[in-house]
Amino acid sequence: MDAIARIANELRARFGPDIQGVESPSPTRLFVDIDRRALRGAAQALVDLGARYMVGIGTDEIARRGRLGLIHTFAFDADHVGVALRSSAPAGDPVFESITPAIPSAGWTEREYRDLLGMTFTGHPKPKRLILADDWPDGVHPLRKDVPYNLVPPAAEDVAYRLDEAPPGTTTVPIGPFHVSLHEPEHFAVFVDGETIKGCDYRGFMTHRGIEKLCQTQVSYNEVPFVAERICGICGSVHAVCYAQAVEAAAGLRISRRSEYIRTVLLEIERLHSHLLWLGIAGHLIGFDTVFMQAWRVREKVMWLAERFTGNRKTYGMVLIGGVRRDITPEIRADLEALLTTLEKEVLVLKNAVIGDTAIHRRTKGVGFLSKEETVRWSLIGPVARARGLGLDVRKDHPYAAYDDLAFDVPVVDSGDVWGTLVVRVLEIFESIAILRQALAKMPADGPLLIEVPEALPALRHGLSMVEAPRGESVHYVITGEENRPERWRVRAPTYANLQAVPAMLLDNQFADFPIILGQIDPCFSCTDRVAVIDARSGRRRVLDRAALEGLSRRPAGGRS
Amino acid sequence: MWLISKIKQLLLVSKPGVVTLKYPFEPRPAPEGFRGAPHWDHTKCVGCAGCAEHCPARTIMVRDLCQEIRVLLYDGARCTYCGRCADVCPEKAIAMTPRFEQATEDRNDITETLELFMLTCQRCGRCYDMETTNAVDRLGLTGYRYDSLEARTVIRRATDTFQPGELRTTERYERPTETGD
Amino acid sequence: MSVVAVFVNVLLFLLLAPLFEGVMRKITARVQSRQGPPVVQPYYDLLKLLGKERINSAGTWAFRLAPPAAFASILAVVALVPFGSKLNALGGRVDAVTVIYLLTLGGVSVLLGALASRNTFAAIGASREMVTMVMVEPVLAMTLILGAVRGGSLGLGAAVFSTAARGYSVATAVMLVAYLLALQAFVAKQPFDIAEAEIEILEGPFIEYSGPDYGLFRYYLMMKQMFYAWLFVAVFLPFLRTGAYAGDVLAQLAGTFIVFVLIAVVGSTNPRLRIDQAVKIYAVLVLVALGAVGLAVAGI
Repeated sequence: MDAIARIANELRARFGPDIQGVESPSPTRLFVDIDRRALRGAAQALVDLGARYMVGIGTDEIARRGRLGLIHTFAFDADHVGVALRSSAPAGDPVFESITPAIPSAGWTEREYRDLLGMTFTGHPKPKRLILADDWPDGVHPLRKDVPYNLVPPAAEDVAYRLDEAPPGTTTVPIGPFHVSLHEPEHFAVFVDGETIKGCDYRGFMTHRGIEKLCQTQVSYNEVPFVAERICGICGSVHAVCYAQAVEAAAGLRISRRSEYIRTVLLEIERLHSHLLWLGIAGHLIGFDTVFMQAWRVREKVMWLAERFTGNRKTYGMVLIGGVRRDITPEIRADLEALLTTLEKEVLVLKNAVIGDTAIHRRTKGVGFLSKEETVRWSLIGPVARARGLGLDVRKDHPYAAYDDLAFDVPVVDSGDVWGTLVVRVLEIFESIAILRQALAKMPADGPLLIEVPEALPALRHGLSMVEAPRGESVHYVITGEENRPERWRVRAPTYANLQAVPAMLLDNQFADFPIILGQIDPCFSCTDRVAVIDARSGRRRVLDRAALEGLSRRPAGGRS
Repeated sequence: MWLISKIKQLLLVSKPGVVTLKYPFEPRPAPEGFRGAPHWDHTKCVGCAGCAEHCPARTIMVRDLCQEIRVLLYDGARCTYCGRCADVCPEKAIAMTPRFEQATEDRNDITETLELFMLTCQRCGRCYDMETTNAVDRLGLTGYRYDSLEARTVIRRATDTFQPGELRTTERYERPTETGD
Repeated sequence: MSVVAVFVNVLLFLLLAPLFEGVMRKITARVQSRQGPPVVQPYYDLLKLLGKERINSAGTWAFRLAPPAAFASILAVVALVPFGSKLNALGGRVDAVTVIYLLTLGGVSVLLGALASRNTFAAIGASREMVTMVMVEPVLAMTLILGAVRGGSLGLGAAVFSTAARGYSVATAVMLVAYLLALQAFVAKQPFDIAEAEIEILEGPFIEYSGPDYGLFRYYLMMKQMFYAWLFVAVFLPFLRTGAYAGDVLAQLAGTFIVFVLIAVVGSTNPRLRIDQAVKIYAVLVLVALGAVGLAVAGI
């Protein structure tokens, strides 16, 4: 409470007349309403106080009060506090001062709402399109409520993103949209001089699925967790839990301790398989496929356990608002304990083989280096930050589920390179095993899986929730709505924060190291791309393909066509 | 050093032996509790459309063909196998089977259709009529994603509040030349 | 008889090169705890590729010419070599330098195809391939020159069978080490599969190739691998000899098989190096090889 009072007083002292309201619904959250005049100054003041920028949330409140809202969220990790600066601008004049010059990681947020809500940010260093397709019509801002969720504007031809100027004397190597080391469609234009990378421009957001818009307009509260789970193919439960926590926080619900423990178990199982997956992928990216296969062999046991426990290998479908769907039965518990024993042995073997291999050192040490100062400046999170000497971990800093009961270490390395992220992740596997053991031992024997959730949740309450995904911190911000669905739901996957610093990590490295430098953040582009609207594709050939595909997949039943 | 670590690695990898399965040739049955394709028990279904309402993928559709016949259609093409339908079914008429090999060329293979005979209300003489206040119909209406039962097609259209004509007023409509601003 | 041997050479290489590739894949799979594809999978792959439509995606004659040229050059190499411990009708008429030239011609064809395809990744692959060629081919040349020095003739027989004729010397032993270390680079497997580096530059020089053209390149690569493996057996394992032609052929094939096992094991337990790291290793190898030749000249 001290920290919250301190932050609130500081803001009041400096921006008193511009502060319209201060609210602290829980001892760890602070919501400050502030006039847009002071938004930039207040954001700077918070960062000066030691805050880490998380993400911005743009909202359309035109129907209600004729304004567009912008919320910036910050985390005070040492004080265990999350702060939201809520501001707004009239719909006719949606202009904000850009905070990007001071806080570079806000760059994407602002570009995002430039695209989606039609806001303008004065002084933004790179006011280019970020999310919308290149042929998306100007002036149609898909996140505004008057734009239907299923709007498909006609595709246009000959439209392409204009890349940044390549530095003189360099060649542009196009990585993507389809490239084996990307796994998902994204485009990096890498400017190389010989084999040395001299710069890079990024054009992503090619797999827009319009999830936020869909969930704000079509589905109901308890269907969102299943959609959220499909934001990411690896850390799905993270998003489902994070969303559910945000709604629960907004609505003031408190789930049973047992279901909190079950959520913890879920998340740690996910971390186990995700870190093993990453280790394999990292091996593959440096051309060491045996590491790939062996790490995945170990991982497969986790997948099979998850299948027995939740009913599916990956999309667990376990989380609902108010709790979880399945219990940990005694058989599953015995299975999990047996798995942890074998896993610990196998991962130890794997760790010794990988960590002691000088051939791997050669490809990872000193590669993709970023200093601690830069890491702080870019607000990096997760293993990427922990490999650079920053002990950030949401599980410790902003405890959720049952983590406040569990003892574990946060491995921190300060080598600042790919090797550091590898070590951090391998060590975290052992921490996860320890967490799972404790969770099984300390779990309360009874308690309802699902608590009673009221028919209608109170509207227009704000909830901010963070969950430590295997690749860093996921942030969900929910504003509750009236029609049994969120009014606004904002997702920030860890890649969204980490990816923005990749150009800085690539600089002056060898082109051959591109895959692993990008790989070290464990990029998940689909997580990052969740927003925007139903995609519009450009280019004649692809349109034809789509028509052909649709023809195939929409063939009416019974062979009539 | 390098050689020793390599020999060690070779010894390590020889231990587990071959772990991959000859999968398509040797079946791998799904474990108990697996969420495979859902199956409807037509003797239990009462046609309440709760499954259609709660399906996150909106892949279950209910339509009244006439006063007495209600058709429930499950199209597995978009099913995410979350099992929510089985959860909410008040009659436990839906079971998640262990079937997971769902790839097919004919979407009828993964479709289930139930024609349910609905009893007429003793009081008003109808089954569930189309009055919008009727809770069941309201459920059904928001649950549906298909506009055509036979063709199972989704007709994409803009809502009343948005005129497609508005697009023409923007510069990019015909041929946007300037990109990335 | 020696004319027959030419055909035996070509046929054996054509028939067995994919098999050895298949063996390599199977061993890699075993190291990775996988079932792996059937040993005959490379034959299926080749048949499939050769049966596809031919597409000239670059639209230049050089792009078309490159795959057959590479394939022809490797065919010429295998027709010449003294397979089965005996010079054949062609091998007696050429010297070691011809073989080196022909091998380089194959590499140059790959470069030609890569540059003709006008693709950024192919260009990167080509530059890496060029570095590899310049830095690694000397080891092969030195191996043959070592034989020539010891045998006192640049003839193919003297160059290849120097160890068979005169036994091991210090120079041969040093060269054996250099050759063994360069082997992975010769056959473009990890840690030296840098020019193709699938995950970085998408098979580099071959990115634009598909169908039969790509099939020819694959075939060329498989035969090249088999040649380098065989050369190791012929030069450094002269005791695999029975005296009879058929027996020698079988013995050398068995030796080649073992070399392939070695390649597969080393390839599957190492990450790929970067080109700047590899160049340093290549430089050492070339120096070692030069040193071996120097030792041979000094008669050690």
